[in-house]
Amino acid sequence: MLDIKNLHAAVGGKEILKGIDLHIQAGEVHAIMGPNGSGKSTLSYVLAGREGYRVTQGSVTFKGQDLLALKPEERAAAGIFLAFQYPVEIPGVTNMNFLKSALNAVRKARGQGELDAMQVLKLLRDKAKALGMTEEMLKRAVNVGFSGGEKKRNEVLQMAVLEPALCVLDETDSGLDIDALKVVADGVNALRSKDRAMLVITHYQRLLDYIKPDRVHVLAQGKIQRSGGPELALELEANGYAGFVPDEAA
Amino acid sequence: MSLAKVIERSRKDREGWKYTDLEKLLSSSFRPSPQSGREPESRLFSSPMEKPNGIPAFAGMTELNNNGIQHRIVFVNGIWQPDLSHLDRLPNGVINFGSFDECNLILEGQTCLITAPIELLFLTNVDAPKEFATKLHIELGANGRLTLIERHEFSVAASHVIETNITLHPQAKLVHGKIVQGGSAVHLAQTSVQIAEGAYYDNFALLKGGRLVRNEIDARLTGKLAQCTLNGAILLRGREHADTTTRITHAAPHGTSRQVYKSVIADQARGVFQGKIVVEEGAQKTDGHQLSRALLLSDQAEMDAKPELQIYADDVKCSHGSTVGDLDEQALFYLRARGLDETEARALLIEGFIGEILDEIHVPEWRDTCRTEVEGWLHGK
Repeated sequence: MLDIKNLHAAVGGKEILKGIDLHIQAGEVHAIMGPNGSGKSTLSYVLAGREGYRVTQGSVTFKGQDLLALKPEERAAAGIFLAFQYPVEIPGVTNMNFLKSALNAVRKARGQGELDAMQVLKLLRDKAKALGMTEEMLKRAVNVGFSGGEKKRNEVLQMAVLEPALCVLDETDSGLDIDALKVVADGVNALRSKDRAMLVITHYQRLLDYIKPDRVHVLAQGKIQRSGGPELALELEANGYAGFVPDEAA
Repeated sequence: MSLAKVIERSRKDREGWKYTDLEKLLSSSFRPSPQSGREPESRLFSSPMEKPNGIPAFAGMTELNNNGIQHRIVFVNGIWQPDLSHLDRLPNGVINFGSFDECNLILEGQTCLITAPIELLFLTNVDAPKEFATKLHIELGANGRLTLIERHEFSVAASHVIETNITLHPQAKLVHGKIVQGGSAVHLAQTSVQIAEGAYYDNFALLKGGRLVRNEIDARLTGKLAQCTLNGAILLRGREHADTTTRITHAAPHGTSRQVYKSVIADQARGVFQGKIVVEEGAQKTDGHQLSRALLLSDQAEMDAKPELQIYADDVKCSHGSTVGDLDEQALFYLRARGLDETEARALLIEGFIGEILDEIHVPEWRDTCRTEVEGWLHGK
């Protein structure tokens, strides 16, 4: 589904990703772990198409398409979903209106019919309920005044509504207490399917207790330093990233 | 007041008209702006209180669709149209017309409470003179309640000067809304308000462009515990110019005033906000806040904001602020990452920016009308 080859990317003239290779098949869950500043978030933004993240070398193919040639909204329509580490607050726009606009935009791009307000409301109610979100949260402005946990739930809600092929979860566990983490992980696990792939980016092993990965990769200094099975995450938990970063930064 | 008189006034008050040079702006004698080719007629009566279909275009119109509207006063080219107006449900004596261009609305004694909004509709047609003027006098007796909605829809490049004098007696409450759809016309409004003890004046203006629009409000809180809210949304494109000038004078203690104006300015349009809060000596415990926020959608769009505080009392809580900026890049990317294209994402963010101030409108039908009008503007109307 996703093929990343020798990906180099720079932000503000500084090279952050220095040759990443990653291959993800449909149905698989991959975890990328790494210390702060290793390039984890940069990778997620490059995949989502954020301005200012310049690819200097390499390629990214998604379902046979050149992903890097697509605009952010085209990537969303193609099935890429980035759950943001820091979901953005949008004053004045209700969550409901936002979700309806997003859903209809991707449905239109995918050649599906648009849904009317009642159909969207019904869909949202069911999905929100499964995530323990109240209807009141749908009426509030997008992420405004939401707690850390509510923001992350809202990301998972959007993911559930937009039904992407590839979910990129950028530090979805950050800022969550253990109860919120369980709710969010349950929401993510409910979306696991043989047609959908996931890329879970995290600093800590904790999230991977709840979202079990098939493969674990260690990203440090802009490169994947090691790949392995779930046991690699446990090894990192025990030993830290000391072996992967220069001594002075460890 | 004639246009010439307004121009004369502006000459004598250079500071008050600093950013709106009437003589210069009018010298091109209403040269149509790029937006002016569009006739707003088909949407003349698009208020959601009415049937969506069967709305007659104004030209050749014989009757207005009155579904849901209880009280309506119609002026065409500044002249009151008894046949088009709907006043029969108003109690006797509430309304009278000094002449066809002068309207007096006086609520006192038994007639003090009118629940359904009174709509004042100002229209133009091809016979419109180059300039016309209207005088409104509104007085609410003690405990009076009224919602008054003005709609100004121009289909020709005329100039309309409207002078409004409002007196609110103790504990009266007036909700005063206004939509100006200026097109290629000039709309110059001057509103003076006296707010007595415990009375509340709540004004919301939606200015949807115009060759030249000036909305001037001078409110004076004369009794203790008086309240005044002046909010507005200003949407400009092409070469439109809209000036909001307010002055709130706190002349008695424990008064509260709130002002929030939000402007969205595209193309080469220009917005002006001049707001002054004056707290007179003795107006202790005054609580006054004022904010102007503008979004500039192009490099050539311009916003001039001049907030001022003049405080002569020592125990007050007053603030003012003004921001001018572009759309938030992070929010734009967030929306695009969810599938909205750039145009849709920008429109949603602008809608949100304006939506925040529309949420402050407490009369539901009036809020819905404004929402529909804002959406229309965002889609190019």
